[in-house]
Order: sequence, then C-alpha cells, then structure tokens
Amino acid sequence: MSPAPAQTAHAIGSRALAWLHANREHGKLSDCPRADLVDDADTYKGLGESALAASLVLRGGVAGTAELALARELLEFCWQQVDNGALLYERLLRHPLKTDPMETYAHFVRGGYRHPQFERLAAHTVTLRSTHAVEHVPNRRLAVANSARVIGFDPGPAAYDWATLTRATWLGATPEPWHIDWLTGYSVTHVVFHLTDWGRLPDRLPAELAAYLTRWLPVWTEIWAESGQWDLMAELMIVGACLPEPWAETGDWQRLAGLQREDGLVPRDDQPVEGDPAELFDAHQHPTVVAVVAGTVALTRALGGAGQPGP
Amino acid sequence: MISERARTAHSESADQLARRALDALRGTGGAAVAAVHVEAAAAESGGDPGVALGAVRILGADVLAPYVLTGQAPPAGDTAAVGLALSALPPDETPPPAPPAGTEEAWTMAWIDWGLATVLARLDPANSPVRAAPLPQDPPRCDDATPRDLPPTTAAHDGDRLDEPGAPAEEGWVSWSVRMGKLASLALPGLDGPVHDAARAGALGLARGATRATLRRDHPTAARITRWLAWLHADGVQLPLDPAPLTENIGLLGGGDRPALDTAVARRLLGLEDV
Repeated sequence: MSPAPAQTAHAIGSRALAWLHANREHGKLSDCPRADLVDDADTYKGLGESALAASLVLRGGVAGTAELALARELLEFCWQQVDNGALLYERLLRHPLKTDPMETYAHFVRGGYRHPQFERLAAHTVTLRSTHAVEHVPNRRLAVANSARVIGFDPGPAAYDWATLTRATWLGATPEPWHIDWLTGYSVTHVVFHLTDWGRLPDRLPAELAAYLTRWLPVWTEIWAESGQWDLMAELMIVGACLPEPWAETGDWQRLAGLQREDGLVPRDDQPVEGDPAELFDAHQHPTVVAVVAGTVALTRALGGAGQPGP
Repeated sequence: MISERARTAHSESADQLARRALDALRGTGGAAVAAVHVEAAAAESGGDPGVALGAVRILGADVLAPYVLTGQAPPAGDTAAVGLALSALPPDETPPPAPPAGTEEAWTMAWIDWGLATVLARLDPANSPVRAAPLPQDPPRCDDATPRDLPPTTAAHDGDRLDEPGAPAEEGWVSWSVRMGKLASLALPGLDGPVHDAARAGALGLARGATRATLRRDHPTAARITRWLAWLHADGVQLPLDPAPLTENIGLLGGGDRPALDTAVARRLLGLEDV
C-alpha cells in the first residue's frame, strides 16, 4: 500500500473507533436470562463485533495512545457486558453445541482477558467429535477453528483440519468468479478473515486461493462499490489487506473516507442515514466495525507487520 | 450532427443485420447477408439503403463472419454490398489518433472499418476498394497492477514511467476491457494485429471485464468481451478463467441480436458448436 491510502486507512479506522466508543451504551445487553441470549441474539452479536474491532486495534500495534485507550475502554465495556466472561461460560454450559460463546470469547483473549472456568469447559467440548460436527455453513466452521486457535486449543487435542474445512467453502472451490452473489461475497470475506486470523497470518491463506483472490477481488470490490454496498465493499478491502501480497487501491480508500460521516459512522449502503442514535447504532454499527478492522489491518500490513505474534 | 432518430434507425438496422448474419451462420437464413439487407431497405417503404449501408459499417467484419467461420465463399452480391458500404464513405486516409489523444468513437470506427476491409480483401479481393485499409493507431495496453479506473495514460503524463517514446498508453482494466468489447468484431479467426496483441497481453483484464459486465447484468458488454476470451482461447493463450461456461451463461441470458451473434461466434471459436 502506498503512503496515501495508508494515511487514509488510519484516519478512517480511528474515526470509526471513536464512534463505536462514543455509542457503546447502545450496544448494552438487555436483562434477558443469561443463558438465553438467543432472545437477544442481534445485540449479543453486535457486542462481539465491537469486541473484535477493539481487540484488533489493541493487537495491531499501529494505533496511537488515544486510540489504544479508546479500544481498551471499548473492550472493557464489552467484557463487563458479558459479566467478565461468566455469561459466556453459562451459555456454553447450558448449550454445549453452541459455538458462539467460544467465537466471542476469542476476541477477549486477543485483548488479554481470560475466564479460567470457561476455558476448562471449552477445552473439554472442543475435543468432542460432536462439537466439530455441528451443522454450520462451511465458513462458520472456519470461524470456530480460528477461535480455537486464538484461545490455544489448536493445534492440540482439538486440532482442526484446516485444509478440509477450507475446501468445503465456496472460495475453496475457486469457482467461476462471475457467478458470485451478495451473500456469497460475505462468505468469501469470512473465509479469508478466519484463515488469516484477520490478517495476522497471511501465509495461512493457501497459495491457490491467494492467486484466485488477487485476480478477482478487484472485480468484486468494483461491483459492490458501484452498487453502493459499502459494508461488503469495506469487507472486501479487508480481504485485500489480508493477502500475502496486500492489495489496495487509493480510490477505494478515498471512497470509503468520503462516505464516512464526520463523527465516524460508516453507512451500511447508499440509503439515507436516518434515525435517533439508538437506531443509527443498530443500522450502522456493523459497517463501522468493518471500517475499524479495515483501517487497522490495512495500516498494520502497510507498515510491514502482520500484527504482534499471538496464539 | 446525427439526430437521435437517425441514431435509432442505424441501431435498429444494425440489429436486423446482426440477425441476418446469425441466421446465415446457423444455416437458417439465406445465403446472403449484407446484400439482402441493403436490398430489403431499398424495397421497403420508408426504408433507406443509406442506413442499411451504415449498418454494415457498424457491424464491421461481423457481416462477413458467417463466411469466415464456415469457410463458404460469400455470394458476389454480398461482397459487392460491403465494398459499396466501404467506398460510399471511405475511411480517412490518415487514421484518427488513439485515446487519450483522439476521440474514442472515431478511433473505434477506424478499427472496425479496418476489420471489415481486411476480411473483405481476403474473401474477395476483386470487390475490395482499391486503396488498402489504413492501419489505425495501436490501442492502449491494459496494466493489471494499475488502479482499475486509470484512464488511458501515456508516459508523457506519468512521471513515474520510463516507457520509450511512442509506446502505447496504459490503462486500468475497467475502461480498457469495455473499449476492447467495442472492437469485438475483430475477434475473428484469421484477423490479427495490434488490437489482438493488446488482447493477448491483457487476458486478465479481459477476464475481469467480462466478469464485471456479467455481474452488472450488462449482457451486451459481457458477450463482446467474452468473445475476445474465446478468440484468445482459439489462439492458444492461457486464460485466468474457462471461457466455455461463461459463454454458455451469457447465451442463456439473452440480450438481443448482437449479443446473440457475439455468443454464436464465441461458441465456434471455442469449438462448442460444429461449424
């Protein structure tokens, strides 16, 4: 990445982080029974996404002091929301086939938090064939495998067969690039995120997939930029930053910067941004999380790093 | 200046002519393409043989594609009609400059004329206009690594590049592939030149352009660019994607007579259909 988009990426990421931090209270979990988070699934998912964004800023090593403080406060807020991990523990205890507790927990591990009871329980469940056989879509299986790797279960007794998991995905088939659709676009981005642990391990992307993405990522980015799908466009820009040889075009970063609001919110698409702060948070928290991740991963790679060594 | 109405008339006439070429290629129409088209325009009330001859120039070498692809000799009336279309408004002796120095339209037309005149000279030298078709300027080259929306850029405009003077302009794949699509009538067996060299050097750009056009549901553009991929395949160039399923996909999506003709030509270039 040339210096110009690196600077733009940094500005986008830090503004988006400020907005997520300022609006974090809108992501509070309601008082539903703790093991019954399915009733509050969207809020819970959003909380995990904010935690992911904060954890990557803390991991990246490229944020300034002020951003590190915001990211730490945001992650701490999320950790308190899950009752210092106890809520994730109770959910896994009650629903042993659910993988979302481990997927969410991994973000906190990345940021230095641990809940020993959760880890003892998860260390047991990940060794069960049952856990590996949960009927997820293929890219979600990679999410689970990456969480296990971040927490420290892989490699080990719960080792995942990454090659087989990868081949099962749409991307793993290196399919006709002209036959992709919007939802499959998200599946492609997530395969890359999990294989590389959000850009930390670019070389874990199999060479043929890296070559395939180098060919077609510019086309897909162009398509969803033209159709105003900013959320997917920005996810595809993260994929570019996760490649062994990062791909970025200045015009894409300028477009993303141009559509970001002054306060840091990134609209999910080209529809009007309307509503009270809580509604805005519901509608645009995801693309703004994506913007934090995009800015952080792109800048980390541009500065020659692949993140601090981690699990 | 050409009026909107005249433009529509030319475009409709070109569509009809494409249908005639397609029928001839499939063996379902008459043996003649251009001649029948011009005669029909003269016979119809309100028809304009001038417009019909203009349509021949719009379609370019595609008017003769059935003969190129089947190996059948064109009827004398057909080559005479093409010769008339070329001589009625002869191409400029000095070809217009390539983009970015010149306008897109004039330069594109010059290449389409070149294709038509070159195929005619091969099929029926006796009916060719006396003067050989001038070779237009080289097209810009696709640079896979440059920003995809970079317009044609010559070395003089780009301080970082150390190209030799006179080297063709370089361009991002988005607009480059669309422009190559406009020259799809050159993607015929036996035609070769600077545009074909640019296609050989830009296989990835063409594959990206065809993918983009397909995803945008711009079927005419997808058909045109995919035809270049088929031509490259027939030429033995390694491609970043398999052109056969893409050609079939575009054929199934439809889009009009001209895309149907492009797809039919591509199918023959790929050996998907017996000639």
